[in-house]
Amino acid sequence: MGLAKTDIQNGHRAEPTDGNILTTTIDKVVNWGRRNSLWPMPFGTACCAIEMMATLASKYDLSRFGSEAIRFSPRQSDLLIVSGRISIKMMPVLKRIYDQMPEPKWVISMGACASCGGVFDTYTLIQGVDQFLPVDVYIPGCPPRPEDLIDAVMQVQRKIDKGTLPKGSEVAYNE
Amino acid sequence: MSEEKEITEETQPLVLKRLREKFPDALLADVEVSNGVSVVVNKENIFALLAYLKTELAYTFLVDITAVDNSNLESELIKYDYARYMVVYQLYTFEGETQRIRVKVPVHEKDLKVQSVTKLWKGANWLERETYDMFGIDFEGHPDLQRILMPDDFDGHPLRKDYPLRGRGERERFNFDKQNA
Repeated sequence: MGLAKTDIQNGHRAEPTDGNILTTTIDKVVNWGRRNSLWPMPFGTACCAIEMMATLASKYDLSRFGSEAIRFSPRQSDLLIVSGRISIKMMPVLKRIYDQMPEPKWVISMGACASCGGVFDTYTLIQGVDQFLPVDVYIPGCPPRPEDLIDAVMQVQRKIDKGTLPKGSEVAYNE
Repeated sequence: MSEEKEITEETQPLVLKRLREKFPDALLADVEVSNGVSVVVNKENIFALLAYLKTELAYTFLVDITAVDNSNLESELIKYDYARYMVVYQLYTFEGETQRIRVKVPVHEKDLKVQSVTKLWKGANWLERETYDMFGIDFEGHPDLQRILMPDDFDGHPLRKDYPLRGRGERERFNFDKQNA
C-alpha cells in the first residue's frame, strides 16, 4: 500500500499496526486511486483550449494534481473537459466521444460557451452542453484562467472522494 | 457608401472602359470604390464577363464568392427589379492599377440560379457550396453542390433575412440514435 501519512491524517480511517498493516475501506482506496490519476480527454474547440494547454504546461502544471496524462482517445480517459463552443454539427461528435469513455467518468464544462452558449445566442450553437451530457463541474469565465481549471479538477476530486461503489456517472452522489 | 464616387468618361479606370466596350448591355450599374471598381451585371452575362476578366484582363485570383439578401433594403430592391439576392464575386489582379473588382449579380427569388464558375476557378467549388448552404442559391454546373457548413439534414438557409437568429429549435433537438446508426 502506498497511503501516505497525510492521507491517514486527512480522514482515511487507517490504523497502522506494527508499522506494516493498515485497515481501511474499499471505497477509500478506490477513490484515492481514481482521484489522483484522472486522465483527461480534452475537447478543445475554442480559446478555452488555449487556457487548457497553459494549465498543462510547466507554469501551472496540472500534473501536480495527477491529471497530466492527457489522452486523445476517449477509451482511455475518465475526465472529459469540454472547452469551447459546441455547434449543432459538433454536438453528435461530442456525444459519441462521451459514450466511448469507460465508466466511471466525469465531465467539466469549461467556460461560458460550453456552459450556456456564452455570447453566441444563435441558431447553430448549443446553449449549454449540460442539455445532452451530465456535467459535474462548470467553470465560469471567458475564457477561465488556468487556476479556474485547476480548481475544477480539484472539485471533481472532492466529488470522487464522496462517491461509493458501484457507481457510474449517472448516479447522483451524496453531496 | 461614402467611399463611392461618380465615374466620368475621362476618369474611368481602364478595366471599366474595356467592360463597357465588350458588354455594352450587360452592365446594370458601376461605381468606383476606394480600392477598385464595383459593377452590377445581369445574370445572362455573368459567366462570359468573369471569363473575360480572367483571361483577357488578368483578374486571375478569385478572392471570394458570397451573396447578400436585400429583402429588408427597399433602396437596393428598387434598383434591380426587386431581385431579392445579390451574388457577389470579388476578383483580384496582380497586374495593372485597378487591382480589385467586385462583380454583383441580381438574382430573383423565383429563379434562384446562377451559372457556376468552377470551370474558371477550381477554388470556386467551396465558395459556391457555402453560398448555396447559407442562401439556397443554385449554381448550375457545379460538380458537387451540397452543404458545406451546416449539417446535411439541416432545414433552411440561415443567412436569409427571414431565418430567425436563434433558429427554429435545431439547437435543442437532436437524434443521436440516427448519428450512431
